[in-house]
Amino acid sequence: MSRHAPSRVELLQGTLDLLILRTLLAGPAHGHAIAKHIQRTSEDLLQVETGSLYPALHRLEAKGWIAASWELSKKGKRARFYRLTPLGRKQLAAEQSKWNTFSRAMGLILNPVDQEAQ
Amino acid sequence: MTSFIRKLRWLTRRTDKEVELRDELQFHLEEEAQQRQEGGLANDEARWAAHRDLGNVTLIEENTRAAWGWERLEQLARDAGYGLRQIRRNPAFSTIAIATLALGIGGITAMFSAFDAVLIRPLPYADADHLVMIWDDLSKSGDQSKHFPTPAEWLEWRRHNVVFTDIAATQPGNATLSGDSGPEQVPARKATANLWSVLGVKPLIGRVFTEEEDEKGVRVAVISHALWQRRYGGSPDVLGRKITVNDNPYDVVGVMPSEFYFLPALDIDIWMPASFPAWMRRLLSWHDLQVVARLKPGVTLERARESMAALSLQVTAQYFRPHQVLVTPLREELAGKTQTALVVLLCASAALLLIACVNLANLLMSRGAARGREVAVRAALGAGRRRLIAQFLTEALVLAGLGAVAGVALAVPAMQFLEMVVPETMGKVRLSLDWRVLAFSACTAIAATLTFGLAPALRGSRLSLQEGLREAGRGTAGVRSHWLQHSLVVIETALAVVLLTSGGLLLETFQHLRNTDLGIRSEKLLTFETPLFRYRDFERRVAFVSAQLESIRSIPGVVNAGAISRIPLTVNDQAAFYLLAGQSGDGVPEQVALSRVVTRDYFQTIGARLREGRFFEISDRRSQSPVAIVNQTFADRNFPSRSSLGAQLKFGALGEKGHWYMIVGVVKDIHDRGVTEELRPTIYRLHEQADQSNDQPSGIVVRTAVEPTSIVSAIRQAIGSVDKNQPIWRVQTIKEIVDRQLSTPAQSTTLLSAFALLALLLASVGLYGVLSFAVTQRTNEIGLRMALGATSGEILLSFGKRGLALTSAGLAMGLLLAAIASRSLSNLLYGFRPSYLPIVTAVSVIVIAVAVLACFVPARRASRVDPVVALRNE
Repeated sequence: MSRHAPSRVELLQGTLDLLILRTLLAGPAHGHAIAKHIQRTSEDLLQVETGSLYPALHRLEAKGWIAASWELSKKGKRARFYRLTPLGRKQLAAEQSKWNTFSRAMGLILNPVDQEAQ
Repeated sequence: MTSFIRKLRWLTRRTDKEVELRDELQFHLEEEAQQRQEGGLANDEARWAAHRDLGNVTLIEENTRAAWGWERLEQLARDAGYGLRQIRRNPAFSTIAIATLALGIGGITAMFSAFDAVLIRPLPYADADHLVMIWDDLSKSGDQSKHFPTPAEWLEWRRHNVVFTDIAATQPGNATLSGDSGPEQVPARKATANLWSVLGVKPLIGRVFTEEEDEKGVRVAVISHALWQRRYGGSPDVLGRKITVNDNPYDVVGVMPSEFYFLPALDIDIWMPASFPAWMRRLLSWHDLQVVARLKPGVTLERARESMAALSLQVTAQYFRPHQVLVTPLREELAGKTQTALVVLLCASAALLLIACVNLANLLMSRGAARGREVAVRAALGAGRRRLIAQFLTEALVLAGLGAVAGVALAVPAMQFLEMVVPETMGKVRLSLDWRVLAFSACTAIAATLTFGLAPALRGSRLSLQEGLREAGRGTAGVRSHWLQHSLVVIETALAVVLLTSGGLLLETFQHLRNTDLGIRSEKLLTFETPLFRYRDFERRVAFVSAQLESIRSIPGVVNAGAISRIPLTVNDQAAFYLLAGQSGDGVPEQVALSRVVTRDYFQTIGARLREGRFFEISDRRSQSPVAIVNQTFADRNFPSRSSLGAQLKFGALGEKGHWYMIVGVVKDIHDRGVTEELRPTIYRLHEQADQSNDQPSGIVVRTAVEPTSIVSAIRQAIGSVDKNQPIWRVQTIKEIVDRQLSTPAQSTTLLSAFALLALLLASVGLYGVLSFAVTQRTNEIGLRMALGATSGEILLSFGKRGLALTSAGLAMGLLLAAIASRSLSNLLYGFRPSYLPIVTAVSVIVIAVAVLACFVPARRASRVDPVVALRNE
């Protein structure tokens, strides 16, 4: 929020699910690691609110796109690990292509070819 | 779907999930703190930072829980819990509400169970909806409209029709079993071999008889499951066994399953080949068949009717009575008048439930207005309209659920009562609370919830915030809120009036039936049958019957005994044509009379009364000039303006050799065909003189001085002493016969009256409730008016007027509806035309009187308002 650097961007509605699924494509991870991974990979541009992360994780679990189990973390603590289910993999592919189309469309409108972008 | 199941599975381990969530968030905190520590922060500071970063843990937990998808369910449970608390908090309101609903739901549940058993459940035949019965329509020739077809017609129909896959016929034929163990008279029926294929039934063991056996008259028999168990111990070697039926050997070829039954009675034990003799196949006047047919696929009942009407006219064109036929669905035949009774009663119970719902809607609306402040507070705290409606509806559902449980408990005894309504032709139907009935009452509860809960929910949730909070406690709902409640009162009054009027019509009809002059003295009159097939010789039969009667008369407690060919009141048509002296044969087609052969003491025994002439006497011996007694209907029809005594008639045998009978007496009408049946011209002949008749006086009537059933064993002994192989059966008193025939009208009348009274009660409670509420709401206004000079009498009058206006509107509407509804009752009125005016007057008086009572209490309360107190309330 306000205490963060202004260069941060707010997550668009609905994109968090996609980011979680994409993160889990690399392998199982717990909630904290997922948040950190998104933050790191986006070069700190995206900050995942914990307040929306856990509801999102549980919602995805309810939909059957990810599954959870208790495992030991690297430091030997019990943590709830999430992994992608086959259904989630399919969903990810669909969402990703939708997002690609969307961002391409946005790009085309915001940055017309005949006009120099800033 | 799968996600739903997953959620359900989660629901079972909900505390586990709560703990897991807490652990998970705890782990997140620790992980974050640790990373910050590694980044150089002090232990405490890192922990604080992690907490800050995580934010409001409770909110996260709540949001996450929402993702589990139980929110709705939890809300529902909360509302239901709240509803239960409301119920406990207002015991008076809740008791009335639940009791009202229990009456409504209980009534309709019980009625549905009977309706389902008689009219919906499958019959024990394949594809029973394609089965129809065919009857001769002889109404044009003065005989009854629904008459038994003849074997000759059956043959022609079967050969030429284009609408049925096949047509089968059955014929009366009782059987006396003897030989293996004592003589036993059992109900039996002759059937054409295709009966089984038409009905689509198979025997339990063995086979049915073949077309060839039927043609050749081979003596084979198919027996019922009951007879197999009773007489042959349920052993499979009954197949191929020789049994003695009517002194002839028969081979048992098959046993029917226990659930099989077919018209005309459910206890038929033996089915034998019809094997119509050649002479019967030619005779178009041998009306004694029951004909059942299976519609071809795609053929409608209408089409079959048209096609068969044409065919019948063609078949009987040469006959002196050309006629059409009636085609009726088999289920209708089996259910009989009960069908109308059940439909009417189901509608009545639905009306009662509707009244209960309307009442409850009114109560809830009154309460909803009183709860305005609570609703306003909830709305102020952020409850959306949807949420409020959901809450109201859930509360209503809780009420309906409790009402349904109580209603089902009420339905059980009602169902036991209803079991007696099931027609005799339908077999032993047990009404039980199975899943169909329970599912029905659950659906009813939900429908009721929507009916009585929706309007209050919509209205209660519409309250505007400011108004609600400001007006809290004062509750003066606008004029607008009254019209709905008022119209509800009018509706329920109208429904109650419809039920009361219909109940009145049935009651009057039943009174009429009860008071019908049966033409006999019915108390202490025992009847039974003694089949006489072993006395085919006329002289021997006369001797046996009189010896038998003599032995019965010598029993202490017996006043008199007589015999007749058909037990009175037991719907049995044995009719023949007659010819009056001086008539040519042309008049004959119009002249059908019931034929009864009686012994000399018959009329005295049953207590018949003479209109003119005399009964049979000792001097009436066998001769060439026999005498006859006719009933009043016969005399009025043929001799409207003069005495029929001394008139000559030929009966049955109309040819040259037929005797001329002389009428010596006219007896007051006896209901020979049954209590509720029409009277027909009847000719009684003396057994000793009836050598030209096939009728045998096998029915015995015994007038006793003691309780009739107490001498049954003495009668068996007496008859056994005359002929030890003589079976007797169907022992019953006339009173039992009458009661059985009146049971359907008695029960439908009782039930409809009960529904009507409950409806009246509920409607008056509704009126009372609405007026009381209006008084409470308008206390201030009343106080003001009184302070301005209105007398308490004026106040009383103004409330009383309003109540009576509502009632009158309901009454008018109800009487109008009742006039329409009474048409559907006509089948239950047994041809009787009840006079409407007294019923309408009585109903109006009762409804107005009850309404005055229901208005008076609240109106009086209004008139006693103390203006000082009322205005200080402000």
